[in-house]
Amino acid sequence: MQNHINMNTNNIIEIQNVTKRFPVGETEFTALSNINLKIQKGEFTGLIGPSGSGKTTLLNLIGALDIPSEGEILISGKNVAVKSDAESALLRNEHIGFIFQSYNLLPVYSIFENVEFPLLLQKKSKAERKEAVMQALDWVGLSDIANKKPSQISGGQAQRVAIARSIVKKPDIVLADEPTANLDSTNAYKIMDILKKLNEELGITFMFSSHDSKVIEYLRRVITLEDGKVKNDETK
Amino acid sequence: MFEFLFKGLIRDKSRSLLPVIVVSLGVSLSVFFVGYIEGMMGDMVDQNARFGTGHMKVMTREYVKNIAQKPLDLSILEAGKVIQELDKSYPEVDWVKRFNFGGILDVPDENGQTKTQGIAGGMAFDMTEGNSDLRRLNIANNIVEGRMPNGPFEMLLGQGLAKRMNVKIGDTITYFGSTMDGSMSFQNFTYVGAVQFGLSVMDDKTFLIDIKDAEQILDMEDAVQEIYGYLPNDIYDDQAIEEIKNTYNASFAESDDEYAPQMLALRDQNGLSTMLDMVNTMSSAFTFFFIIAMSIVLWNTGLLGGLRRYTEFGIRIAIGESKRDIYKSLLLESVIVGVIGSVFGTILGLILTFYLQEVGIDMSDTLGNSNVLFSNVIRAKVVPTQFWIGFFPGVMATFLGALLSGRGIFKRQTSELFNELGV
Ligand SMILES: Nc1ncnc2c1ncn2[C@@H]1O[C@H](COP(=O)(O)OP(=O)(O)OP(=O)(O)O)[C@@H](O)[C@H]1O
Ligand SMILES: [Mg+2]
Repeated sequence: MQNHINMNTNNIIEIQNVTKRFPVGETEFTALSNINLKIQKGEFTGLIGPSGSGKTTLLNLIGALDIPSEGEILISGKNVAVKSDAESALLRNEHIGFIFQSYNLLPVYSIFENVEFPLLLQKKSKAERKEAVMQALDWVGLSDIANKKPSQISGGQAQRVAIARSIVKKPDIVLADEPTANLDSTNAYKIMDILKKLNEELGITFMFSSHDSKVIEYLRRVITLEDGKVKNDETK
Repeated sequence: MFEFLFKGLIRDKSRSLLPVIVVSLGVSLSVFFVGYIEGMMGDMVDQNARFGTGHMKVMTREYVKNIAQKPLDLSILEAGKVIQELDKSYPEVDWVKRFNFGGILDVPDENGQTKTQGIAGGMAFDMTEGNSDLRRLNIANNIVEGRMPNGPFEMLLGQGLAKRMNVKIGDTITYFGSTMDGSMSFQNFTYVGAVQFGLSVMDDKTFLIDIKDAEQILDMEDAVQEIYGYLPNDIYDDQAIEEIKNTYNASFAESDDEYAPQMLALRDQNGLSTMLDMVNTMSSAFTFFFIIAMSIVLWNTGLLGGLRRYTEFGIRIAIGESKRDIYKSLLLESVIVGVIGSVFGTILGLILTFYLQEVGIDMSDTLGNSNVLFSNVIRAKVVPTQFWIGFFPGVMATFLGALLSGRGIFKRQTSELFNELGV
């Protein structure tokens, strides 16, 4: 499963001269211009910057949900832009977890089934799935609500379910786009504590985008974007 | 994975129940429409078969050449023998004698002077108790005044004709006409009842007498003008008729007797062939357009079903499902919904058709007073086509809808699917 990951480098994510332009009517809008970044395995890094500075766009490119107009994005040394739809899906499925601002749970499925979904895609056996799901729910402290539906739980709980879903497959990278934006400070701190623990104990690389000072407190490296350019890159 | 998708389908009513209901309704309408058209067609065929053409009809060759004039002098002689042979060769077919002839009806006053007079068309059939034609023509149920003839030389008039002739039950009506060999013939009848055919041409011009009276006044004791044949239960069957006609006519192929019997199918008479073909084409065209219209409706349902779910697709893509797999699952779902909806819709449509088939026949009883032979009663007929036709709009259209709406998964950039997540 890990065979196409290049272990010789510590740079799990490498962004080389990336520019992203979106068509806007007749013209184009440059959301990111000439970005160069290296993210090492095990980092706990955040993209900050004003609204519209390109944070989400960059996370989507890293997650191979979108392709850069120019430049390359290497995940463990492999260029994601040249991958086919099926290959980039496989990359996400095996190596990348997503957490969103709005929790994006599938409403018709139970908490258990939501967390189980990535494992179904990996065609894991029922027993394996059950064990991994319960473990992931245990990490976020929600084993007791496994059978509830997303509509029956609070926002803080929903975001923890989303975290469980993103880590259940033990990914290398979790991309979290403003994960605390919809939460009160108690829940925001709770979420950040969980993510920090996952980073330290499982070695998952985290990449955030946020405006939230509570998130920024936790980050070990802060990359500031402005008008689609890296304005500052600071490691604490 | 399939189980996972199926769970979602069942739990999300807007994805399962609602489209199934829409598909069922659309399919049942299509299925019913086919039955309705078939019923109308069948009605037309039945009416012609009962009164004008039979399912098939035997006459002499010379008679056939002049069939429009209904020339009595070219009738079949030795009718008994011809019918006997028909009964032997085609025992399943009901062979009956019929006469259609013209004449003058004269109603005398108490002094024997003509009170009213009119030209009319006579129709004679076997009115003996229990005879099949009695049930087939169903005259008894359409008598608006008086009763059926039950003795010699009794006559029924179409209600329009009865009014014009100004007769009362029990009045004498004298028939003037000619016999088969052209000599003058007249006979007194007793007027016993008026019939409502529901078709003004017949109401205003027709009188009915028993076949034995007709044989006597036309001097045709062992002759018959036309022998009508009906398939079992009077159910019309184009192919069976064509086959009987061909074998029968083939058996006289060697004969050069111009009075040899010849059989015509319903299709061969009164320009019914073109009419049947035209109605067939028209009903096919109507059915086609109806199915197309239904397809567009159901296609849209499939389309909306797909569009509504871009959010879900975005999440699934992020989690690592490929666009192709999502597209496939969307198509699979549409087929499941389409098949289930089509099955329900077909059953519903068939029930509706069957109901109208049964009740449609009894409509005159239900409505009580409107006893007409040629009624515009809504009738439907269950036909084999109905068992599969609904699957076209039902499955194909939902599938096509999903096929097109699902293409958006590929057309859009994945990040755009996300923007629709309301992030
Ligand atoms: N699909 C798209 N088409 C056109 N323009 C887009 C598209 N996606 C993003 N943009 C534009 O690119 C710029 C960067 O957007 P992005 O969502 O990355 O900003 P952000 O830093 O995440 O902002 P926020 O803090 O509000 O989430 C914005 O001006 C946005 O309008
Ligand atoms: Mg953003």
